[in-house]
Parts: sequence; C-alpha cells; structure tokens
Amino acid sequence: MDMVQVIGIGITAVLLILVVRRSHPELAVQITIVVAGIVFFLVLDKLRMIIELFTEMAKRAGIGEMYLIILLKIIGISYLVEFGAQVCRDAGEGAIASKIELAGKVMILVMAVPIIAFALDTILRLMP
Amino acid sequence: MELDLLFKIAGVGILISVIHMALKQAGKEDMAHLCTLAAFALVLLWIVQLLGRLFRTVQDVFRLS
Repeated sequence: MDMVQVIGIGITAVLLILVVRRSHPELAVQITIVVAGIVFFLVLDKLRMIIELFTEMAKRAGIGEMYLIILLKIIGISYLVEFGAQVCRDAGEGAIASKIELAGKVMILVMAVPIIAFALDTILRLMP
Repeated sequence: MELDLLFKIAGVGILISVIHMALKQAGKEDMAHLCTLAAFALVLLWIVQLLGRLFRTVQDVFRLS
C-alpha cells in the first residue's frame, strides 16, 4: 500500500465532496468519515507489523510486558481521539471535538497512573 | 479496499439531488424531503458498518480492550 494510493483517495474524495456539498452538505461529512476510515484501515495494517516488532524487541530487552501494553493503549486512544475530533471539527462542530479530546486526555491519564506510581516508587527506593 | 463505498455514496448523493429537483418540479415537496432522508439513512448504515469494523480492528491492534 503506497503513498500514491492514499493521495489518490484523498483527492478523489475532495472532488466528490465538492460535487455533493452544494445540494447535500450532510452527505459531504459522511464522505469525509468514510475516507478517514479507509485511510485509517490502510495505516493500521502497516502499524500492526511495527507493533509486533516492538513487542518482540521489548520481550528480548526484558522490559515489563505491562508497560508496553499501556503504552500501546495510550497510542491507540490518541489515534481514535484524533480521528473523532478531526471529523467533528471538519463538520464545523468545534465544541464536540474539544469534548472528545477532553475525554481522550482523561482516559490517557487514567492509563498512565500505574506508570507514574511505579516511577515514583523507583525514585523513592533510590533515595538514600 | 472499500473504495467502491466511497463512489456509492457519491452516486447516492448525486442521484438524490436529481430526484429532489424532479419531485420539486412535480410539486411533491414533502416526498422529496423523504427521499433525501432515506438516502441519508442508507449511507449512514454503510458508514456504521465500516466504522464498526474499523474500531474492532483498532481495538485488536492496540489491545485496547
């Protein structure tokens, strides 16, 4: 899956949106959502390989499996939040987009708590 | 992959604008609005299916839940 395909999809979608937007603006938003989804699908296949490589390297390096999983979850949440917020902002709803981003930040914070706790423990243990 | 979905939606959009104009000429304004609503619902159905599959893949890739 090369870059040319993504650019081609994007440009054709923009042209289709211009055609449809005059008579039906709501269909234009739906086309945006579909294109975002399709490109996301194409990216996810590549990402799956990268993530498997990272987990394998982490296992060999002896890093705790749990921390890598938390890191992956945080990346996944930020991907989804960016997807949803951008579509809402594109449709003109800035308020809803910021609410989605707020929820995403809270979820990431909730997930990061164990890591913060572990970091504090190690620091305290190192203190004389 | 789902490129045909993209063109199906654009086709529905163009078709509906033509039908809308035709029905408006024929004087059936309310029918035209119903047709637009039906097209909107149909496209929404396709999109929900695509998003469902997308979010399931994201959850699988990022081990979200």
